[in-house]
Amino acid sequence: MIFPSGVNRRIDHRTASQTVYDAVVVGAGISGAIIAKELGRAGRRVLVLEAGAGEDHSLASYERYLERFYATADKDNQSPYPPNPNAQIPRTTDTHRMSPGQPDSSAYLVRNGPFASDTTYTRVLGGTTMHWEGKTPRMLPSDFRLHSVHGVGRDWPLSYDDLQPYYARAEREIGVSGDVEQQSFLGARFEPGYVFPMQELPLSYLDRTVARGIDGTTVDLDGTPIELRVRAFPQGRNGIPNPAYDHGRGYVPVGAVSTTQIEEGERCQGNNNCVPLCPVQAKYNAGKTLAAAVESERVHILTQTVASRVLIDSVTGHVSGIEVKAYDDPHTPRYTTWTMRGEIYVLAANAIENPRLMLASGLSTTSGLVGRNLMDHAYLLNWALLPTIAGTYRGTNCTGGIADLRDGGFRRRQAAFAVDIHNDGWTWAVGSPGRDLRHMVDDENLFGRDLRAALADRLPRQLLLACMIEVPPDESNRVTVDPGYTDPMGNLRPVLSFTVPEYTMRGAAYARQLSRQIFQRLGAADHTRYEPSDPAYVSYEDQGYVIRGGNHLAGTHLMGTAPQNSVVDDTQRCWDHDNLYLVGGGSMPTIGTSNVTLTIAAMCFRTAKRIVRALTARAATPA
Amino acid sequence: MSRERLAELLDAAVKLELATIPPYLCALYSLQPEHNREASLVLRSVVVEEMLHMVLAANVLNAIGGRPSVAGPENAPRFPHELPDGVVLDLLPFSPRALDAFLCVENPQYRAASSADPSAGTPTQPPTSRSGPHPSVALNVTAGPTTIGAFYDEIIDLLEAVTRDVGEAALFCGDPGRQITGELYYAGGGAPVVVTDLVSATVALREVIDQGEGEISSPYDADGDLAHYYRFEQLKHDRAYLRSDRMGTPTGPPVGVDFAAVYPMIPNPRPADLADPELIAAAERADRLWSRVLLQIDAAFDGSPATLVDAVQTMFRLRDAMLVLLANPLPGSTGLHAGPTFDWAPPEPSAATGTRARP
Repeated sequence: MIFPSGVNRRIDHRTASQTVYDAVVVGAGISGAIIAKELGRAGRRVLVLEAGAGEDHSLASYERYLERFYATADKDNQSPYPPNPNAQIPRTTDTHRMSPGQPDSSAYLVRNGPFASDTTYTRVLGGTTMHWEGKTPRMLPSDFRLHSVHGVGRDWPLSYDDLQPYYARAEREIGVSGDVEQQSFLGARFEPGYVFPMQELPLSYLDRTVARGIDGTTVDLDGTPIELRVRAFPQGRNGIPNPAYDHGRGYVPVGAVSTTQIEEGERCQGNNNCVPLCPVQAKYNAGKTLAAAVESERVHILTQTVASRVLIDSVTGHVSGIEVKAYDDPHTPRYTTWTMRGEIYVLAANAIENPRLMLASGLSTTSGLVGRNLMDHAYLLNWALLPTIAGTYRGTNCTGGIADLRDGGFRRRQAAFAVDIHNDGWTWAVGSPGRDLRHMVDDENLFGRDLRAALADRLPRQLLLACMIEVPPDESNRVTVDPGYTDPMGNLRPVLSFTVPEYTMRGAAYARQLSRQIFQRLGAADHTRYEPSDPAYVSYEDQGYVIRGGNHLAGTHLMGTAPQNSVVDDTQRCWDHDNLYLVGGGSMPTIGTSNVTLTIAAMCFRTAKRIVRALTARAATPA
Repeated sequence: MSRERLAELLDAAVKLELATIPPYLCALYSLQPEHNREASLVLRSVVVEEMLHMVLAANVLNAIGGRPSVAGPENAPRFPHELPDGVVLDLLPFSPRALDAFLCVENPQYRAASSADPSAGTPTQPPTSRSGPHPSVALNVTAGPTTIGAFYDEIIDLLEAVTRDVGEAALFCGDPGRQITGELYYAGGGAPVVVTDLVSATVALREVIDQGEGEISSPYDADGDLAHYYRFEQLKHDRAYLRSDRMGTPTGPPVGVDFAAVYPMIPNPRPADLADPELIAAAERADRLWSRVLLQIDAAFDGSPATLVDAVQTMFRLRDAMLVLLANPLPGSTGLHAGPTFDWAPPEPSAATGTRARP
């Protein structure tokens, strides 16, 4: 996949500011990339604005990310991406224990509490898909009708069937490996004869070890017996193409993105550092879609260009421009200000940056819901040592898990969840394997042959079950801005207020209990410890838990049926501003138990179609 | 007679393509981390392409009812290895000398000339091995020295002649289930051609030749990228080509070649060179894994195509085993490092994947 050298210099800020584009898109992650690609293919002129540092999406820049990751001691999920004070990237390491009533403004994301989430997202070309893990489950049909079916949260103004063709389109774009039969459960349905672009990635040896212990186990939940089994997750990473795809036309995997074609890219080889960066570009990143977008000469990208204000025509209520601050050096807060204009404006900056920009521009909407209903999946980690070697640390970060508790009558009372079996051992929970090595050397005084034997004995027996728990929309969980908190260029920083809902904590308590049951069945020794000193420590019914964020950000400009109950309509168009679209996770009224990226991609394909139609209609009607 | 001759030539072609792989792997894995990025990319993309060529030749041989053989002491390549065009493939670390050899391998029109010929590709080199080179099967089955291009041309001509003689259906009588298909070949780009008739056989073999010839006649491919041959030249001169450059003399900026950031592997390592019991054991391990790769490829070519996926796993283990050797100096030598011998060694039957008991 070629990213032509110099695409980021196709246009300069002055020329761009003198052009009226068909669409101005804020953000070069998967949402912005899909909109830009689809509009470019429809012959439209598009300007994409990216806040992050501006290099071509070249192999060299990708390799620099990799080298940075390899060289750094602290391998958190942002470790490959260099600090950029002008477009700061939140990191999990920013999170501190909060004191009641005291906002923590020590890092870019201001935490207003009471819960201190370890939220991150990546502000570079390609956005957070650079560091994402790459799981791509669809939402279940019932997830779209959560309120009607279970009396909880909200309904979508869209049904699963409305989105189904766009799910298929998104699976093509991302290049999903999976098996339809395995994914047809809990009401999930596919177009007759549908197959995924690539064959399912095989379950790891660890998955199969867990499966031997628990497949067929029945749990009783809300009076209904539910049978558990380990199944593979659909994944956005290259595997074996399915010759039956597209009615027998097959599928050609999209390889590495590079300014030259010397590197073709490889299929997934199980390097086990999908997060924060796939070393061989087998994992999808939005650079692949951006490269396809810039095949159209009409698509321009400006990097190091931070959108600072959405300008509104006070007469028509239409957006009249986006004010941007363009910087040359990430480490110097020196910038020039420009206004970029288009017929249509698309904010595709994610569910925290989108409302931040709206609120920083002084834009509220009829519903007053901009920034509210912030959601993310709540992860409860459980870790144990298996009695025999199970091959941990082989394969991608996660190949399989338990998805049978994603829906059921119990959702009236408590959150649904999916269980991920982590092939990277206790890494997420305690920082293995580095932490194990330090422990063995410092505390057990092991060295030489004994140390090697201990590592070889214990690391491949690590089992981590990560329970990904549903979080329902709650208006008090929100993103706001405060003039007291600005970044070096004077842009307002996001302020997060969050409480883990009780509904979610009931699910967490059950997930903990189930994990212990699974450990018992496997004869595994539970090593889980939730430290009260952890910033993400939560007490619930006299028990303590640590809740990690999944960075599946959503809800902050949710879609609905009317301007009174939502920020955008079912095509992600803002009710209050005709030519403004807020796209991405922010539009999702609920997140169920699906990692959000595939659904975001599906919604964006649907929105792109709507925008092309709107542009055509505009051209036909005299102003 | 002609059908047998075809099978003989195609089997030699499979072995010829196979023999190019270990020299490229030695150069590739001798690169120390974080240096020579361009060299690493060129070597990796070329070695993957050689694997594709081997698969293409095997598909043609299988299509005519033949049986490609790459395993066993009689089929595995031995080094130094002499190709029909006179190129001697040595196992060398990344070095000017290795680059000269690769430039010859990548040029299908190359033929080792007599020393009187001023256009000879390689300057005269002192011998790198204590015995003479092992002749490629292709060298034995051809009438005399020939270019790789001419070697393949002969096969294509013969395919056409035999088709005329016995009919297409009679010649292409192989079991289609023995073909290596696009699902199985493990790379982001490039795909094998499933061979069922004269047209697909010609397409497959043309791809093998054209990836060389095309590159020699024009430095840029359809995507506007510099072809492998010229990328090797960029490495040789440590200069990028500019669009205005004459071929042979790149004048652009350095591409970042650092021959010092390379593990100085002893040329054509032999077990006797290794001197140290741990290194000897590591070399044996690498040999067993290499032999396992060959057995798995052999099975993939002999009716179990899916075994190719297992071979890929073994290739990763071979890489790790090679790195152990390459990163370690030879005791008592003046700074030379160990390296793989690429000798045939029957794999241990118990060395199956991941199921060993806990100590």
